[in-house]
Amino acid sequence: MSVKYIPVQWNPNKWIYDGIMLAGVAAFLWVFIHVTPEILSHERPINSQVHNARAFGACAFLMLSIILAIGPLAKLDTRFMPLLYNRRHFGVMTAFVATAHAGYILNWYFAFSFVPKWDALILSNTNYGQLLGFPFEALGAFALVILLILAATSHDFWLKFLTAPVWKRLHYLIYLAYVSVVAHISLGILQDQQSLFLPVFFIVTAFLVALLHVWAYLAERKTGDPLASAEGDWMRVCQADEIDEGRARIALLPDGKRVAVFKHEGKLSAISNACAHQNGPLGEGRIIDCLVTCPWHGFQYRVTDGQSPAPFTEKIPTYNLRVQDGAVLVDPKANPPGTHVDPVEVA
Amino acid sequence: MADNKDKPFFVGYLTAPDGLRSFLIGIGIGLILLMAGVGLGIGATQDDPGNGAFRGDYGRQTVTGVMELTPYPVVRVTQGSEHVPEGHTLMLSAGGKQSLMSRVRDLDGQLVTVSGTILDRGELDMMQVRGGQNGISRAEGDAPEMDSEDLGRWRIAGEICDGKCLAGAMRPGTGIAHKACANLCLIGDIPPVFVSTQPVEGSEFLLVVGPDGTIFPKSAYDLVAAYISVEGKVVRHGDLLVFHLEPDTAELVQ
Amino acid sequence: MMAAGLVIFAEYWLMVGAVVALFFLTIGIDRIDEDARGAYIFRPLLVPGVLLIWPMVLWRWYALETGRADEAKRYKAVRGAYGFVAIGMAIAIGVIIATGLSIKQTWPAHIAPELLSEAGQ
Repeated sequence: MSVKYIPVQWNPNKWIYDGIMLAGVAAFLWVFIHVTPEILSHERPINSQVHNARAFGACAFLMLSIILAIGPLAKLDTRFMPLLYNRRHFGVMTAFVATAHAGYILNWYFAFSFVPKWDALILSNTNYGQLLGFPFEALGAFALVILLILAATSHDFWLKFLTAPVWKRLHYLIYLAYVSVVAHISLGILQDQQSLFLPVFFIVTAFLVALLHVWAYLAERKTGDPLASAEGDWMRVCQADEIDEGRARIALLPDGKRVAVFKHEGKLSAISNACAHQNGPLGEGRIIDCLVTCPWHGFQYRVTDGQSPAPFTEKIPTYNLRVQDGAVLVDPKANPPGTHVDPVEVA
Repeated sequence: MADNKDKPFFVGYLTAPDGLRSFLIGIGIGLILLMAGVGLGIGATQDDPGNGAFRGDYGRQTVTGVMELTPYPVVRVTQGSEHVPEGHTLMLSAGGKQSLMSRVRDLDGQLVTVSGTILDRGELDMMQVRGGQNGISRAEGDAPEMDSEDLGRWRIAGEICDGKCLAGAMRPGTGIAHKACANLCLIGDIPPVFVSTQPVEGSEFLLVVGPDGTIFPKSAYDLVAAYISVEGKVVRHGDLLVFHLEPDTAELVQ
Repeated sequence: MMAAGLVIFAEYWLMVGAVVALFFLTIGIDRIDEDARGAYIFRPLLVPGVLLIWPMVLWRWYALETGRADEAKRYKAVRGAYGFVAIGMAIAIGVIIATGLSIKQTWPAHIAPELLSEAGQ
């Protein structure tokens, strides 16, 4: 929400968030790298490069799974919303951990040859026609490229520059990356592993992530935002008395956009449901200090004109509305972002 | 969406509401414990990578014998060392995944002295020779005639590995996750080795060559690291069996 | 050949990205985003992104410079695809893991070497 961009807009919650995340990553890696060699009773130890590669690879998979679980969890139970707040830092850290995994592999399995490493990565196994012995490294590399693109475009500048919908579509690639990672593991280490912990953990985790998403989707379909119904040229959103003070009702308009009708000090105002920042659902937010507050990252707007208070410059479209026989009607044609509309008295 | 009417509302830059704080502390502690626990679980249940190793503890070994190009270079040892007995057939490799072929091209049937580090894994061993003349040189004297014995055509089951990683250059040095590395070794003319499910004429490990006594054929690369059964002629060179693998006969084992 | 070609392609991709980054982060960004004017410390953070997705950067730069960007589209949240993504991902994960388990081999210790024909036959 800054007027000028800075590298990271730190605040105490982000420090705590990153602190917990880094503590988790450090705990994972420290236990895996320094504690487990003492526990393993092998006659000769696993090469440290491979041991490290496994530590970072497994850690990246777990991190990615946690990241992908946050979205549906927050949809199913709003208490998880704080985990969403700084998820991008979690993602960037995952890209670093995954890169370390790739680095250990590249500098071990693909090193020591007269063939340059990057060439070796591509040409040493070309068994694309067979699942057993498939070049699963390519699947991991593909996922890593996606993680790097997402990490590299995580700054708020990219949201504004690409626009939130384009940015979101780009970041939907995370699902493709996860599928690719699941294939990378399924056709790679899963084929070799004799002991049961890794396969069971991997399969349970991947299915849990898949299940959470399907569950969240079904829940969203069941309790999702209703379609506004036409009343002449206007669209009916809800009954005026259904809206609580400081809260909103959301309706889907024919053009695919959503409108949020807020009640503030007893009067109604209609604004775009999509936050200018990341298209977060403003209508699921609240009015705090007279400002509509986005549930995702706390961006704030005046309910009457859709403008962020100075010094901030974000703007969202507003909608004209009226109340007729107790029903809230909205003009489906949005006003330009920042247009003032007088709040409507509930009749 | 979820009914959040009465749930506490979190705003990122404000202090978390009271109703959420204990929940979030629980999540935070749970996350750290989960990550440590998974790290422990996966790390402590890794499979045994086998007992292959570079035997730096042996010190440098220098032996003399007759060079045979199978075409992969092996030395039929006539004068052994502390850890390489006379009469042994010793496989050779260069450093890393480099080829030794250019250095041995003119030495077939010659008496040579080779020097380097031993890798071993049970019955399997190999020498990583030193660079240049220090590694391989002609030895004084005439090379004795070495015979080899055709043991017939066999169908055997097991895994094609690169002999060097298998012998201990890498732990683990076998399996699907290591396949690309094994291929890269074979591209570098590291001797391929077949690990048989059961000993063939007393040997669990067989040096693999192409069907006509060529280097490992391109068409066989896709078989590396998978469990296969495959046919080919087996020839005894001293205490080493050489398997003339016929890729066309290979089948994946179910 | 293929391998070298791909690596060279990647190198050129990044090199073009570097040129785009140079111009975009010194000239372009000030022209198309007022929040970036006078803000310099955050710009190096954008370099990796430009290196990777420079065609998108050029496209948006062009759209914003020429006023072709449809600003109204900013407020149409991407939510319709979620069902497709959620169900698609679940199916893919199920199929992939089932496939991985079905091809997994066990060491065929029971198969004994079989002599097919004696030498010379």
